[in-house]
Amino acid sequence: MSQDVPLNWYLIVAACVFVIGLFGVMTRRNPIAVLMSIELMLNASNLNILAFWRLGTPNPGEAPLTGVVFTALVIAVAAAEVAVGIALILVCYRVWKSADVDRYDSMLG
Amino acid sequence: MPTVPVIPSVWPSSSEWFFLSPVLLMAFWGVLVLMLDVLVLRNRTLLSTRAKWLGLTSLVGALAALGLAVGLLWPGVLATDVLSANEEFFNGTIAFDAASALLQVVGIGFLVLVIGLSMTWVFTNEQGEYYALLFWSAVGMILMIEAEEFMTLFVALETMTISIYILTGLETGSKRSSEAALKYLIYGSAASALFLFGLSWVYGLTGTTRLAAVGRALVESRTVEGIGGQWTSGLALLLVLAGFGFKVASVPFHQWTPDVYEGAPAPVTAWIASGSKFASFIAMIKVLMLALGTWSVDTGHLQSPGWVVILSILAAVSMTYGNLAALGQQNFKRMLAYSSIAHSGYLLVGVVAIGVSSQRTEATGAVLYYLCTYGLATLGTFAVAAWLAHDVGSDQIDDLNGLGFRRPVPAFCLAILLLSLIGVPPLAGFFGKMLMFMEALNAGGNGGIALTWLVVVALLNSVVSAFYYVRVLKALYLRQPGPAIGKSFPSGVIWTLVIAAVATVGFGLNPTALLDPLGGAGISLLTSPEPASSGRPVDSNGITQSATVPENPAQTQVPVAPAPSASAR
Repeated sequence: MSQDVPLNWYLIVAACVFVIGLFGVMTRRNPIAVLMSIELMLNASNLNILAFWRLGTPNPGEAPLTGVVFTALVIAVAAAEVAVGIALILVCYRVWKSADVDRYDSMLG
Repeated sequence: MPTVPVIPSVWPSSSEWFFLSPVLLMAFWGVLVLMLDVLVLRNRTLLSTRAKWLGLTSLVGALAALGLAVGLLWPGVLATDVLSANEEFFNGTIAFDAASALLQVVGIGFLVLVIGLSMTWVFTNEQGEYYALLFWSAVGMILMIEAEEFMTLFVALETMTISIYILTGLETGSKRSSEAALKYLIYGSAASALFLFGLSWVYGLTGTTRLAAVGRALVESRTVEGIGGQWTSGLALLLVLAGFGFKVASVPFHQWTPDVYEGAPAPVTAWIASGSKFASFIAMIKVLMLALGTWSVDTGHLQSPGWVVILSILAAVSMTYGNLAALGQQNFKRMLAYSSIAHSGYLLVGVVAIGVSSQRTEATGAVLYYLCTYGLATLGTFAVAAWLAHDVGSDQIDDLNGLGFRRPVPAFCLAILLLSLIGVPPLAGFFGKMLMFMEALNAGGNGGIALTWLVVVALLNSVVSAFYYVRVLKALYLRQPGPAIGKSFPSGVIWTLVIAAVATVGFGLNPTALLDPLGGAGISLLTSPEPASSGRPVDSNGITQSATVPENPAQTQVPVAPAPSASAR
């Protein structure tokens, strides 16, 4: 166990990935790039959860596989979100003939 | 790393399955409606016939679920000793208590009204998918109300929201519908990601995902040196609040609201404004009170003012922004969207009151009362918005001109609902606001944090909100009838309006009829489940304690980077 990568390193990497994702969500105009950035944010959370599960202190009475189950559920949810997201991007692309969130502006005010 | 012990299966008992029967029925009914459409009706019948049959089937299913849910409340159906907060039911993931039993009736009631409203018009070709997704979003909603654990909460929340993303974009041939759906999805999934990152930190700080266990661990961390991270707990709190703030449309996370409310098909808008907001607020109260109650004020372990202060500021800003922005709107749906932001602000005042009040159950009862009556009033007003959009082909407030002379019954019902939204005395909206604001004031009187300034802001905002609601009333009764008034009201709209108006007047004249059961629900909503493992060598999962306690000292290190003991190692 002592040769393991310390917990802090995982947390720092996860925080960096999360911030990169957040930056992407706020700056990218292509909806597909935005979806990819959201995936980065979700995966940063997964990394956090798994690191905490493997190296953190479990609560007494906690089931042994909490972190793994949580991550598996998050992966499933993220896949569902992307599937719906790509479908909606396709619908919008057919209407506007462009993949740029700034041009989807039929409602303002 | 201890070897993973074999978990003896804890299969839920029959009474647990019975408790979940309304949810299971709705999940099954969604599949049934979808299959009926795909295998039997599609390509064989006209769209209008198909829509009629699928709508009727869905209405039957929703009414059956409502019947089951009401049946569970019947005295003697579920033994009262069974209905107690306990971590053994569903292994502590779902609250098996009086609050869930009552609140799921309200949620399914909203669903019935939304399905009734959806049957009035055919606005999409995907009828089977539409009703199936309505059912599944209701399933997510109710599981979210009942969740006692972060994984269940997150999955239920995503089930609800992802279904609603698709519902928003289902209107055939509408440019605005697809645009609204994509905007909702992008804002929504970004907010979910923030929320999840916050949850991952809460899990890391406490080592568990159960709300009650998180709460206990955080209470212990105030005395035990080490576990309470410094800035990390503040960060986790902010991220969790961002996720909830998005779901309830409070100010820094409100940008999606006007576009989605305007672009989505009107029955779906009604569903977002009533059902989704209802479930999100209840889940928010549960998480903040049961799990993060310790973080309500700055404890020294939290480099953040605590959620009471943060939410007070969000409440004040939401109310003010929502009301001022609604003042300038000519579009009826957009006006209602901004007013829904303002109402989120009022409700946040109630949540803050729960956090600081010495009578927490009364304050919770007041918030639940406001949620129920506000949901009903919104359903009614969006029924009129749906009628405007589909039968008149417009969204403008001016198209309601003179409605009071030509269509007295619906116009009168709409007027009652708008007066209730302003908060005029004999109506339910008044009592909701009064109860919540009284609780907020009482909290200050008992040596708690003074919320007087917040209540003053809320009252001033109520006055401002009267201006734009009265503009609609003026259009109804004081202007000459316009050309659109010749259109008649379909029965689905009339039903929704009449039910909403009667409930608003009835619960206004006799608030205790609703307030007493909701106050009872408030008690069990705020009761932390007792740990099932107390006094027993084996916990609820049947795992012996020794198996879960790590033997390696490296594992007992503090999981937070800047904590002093971690650097000492």
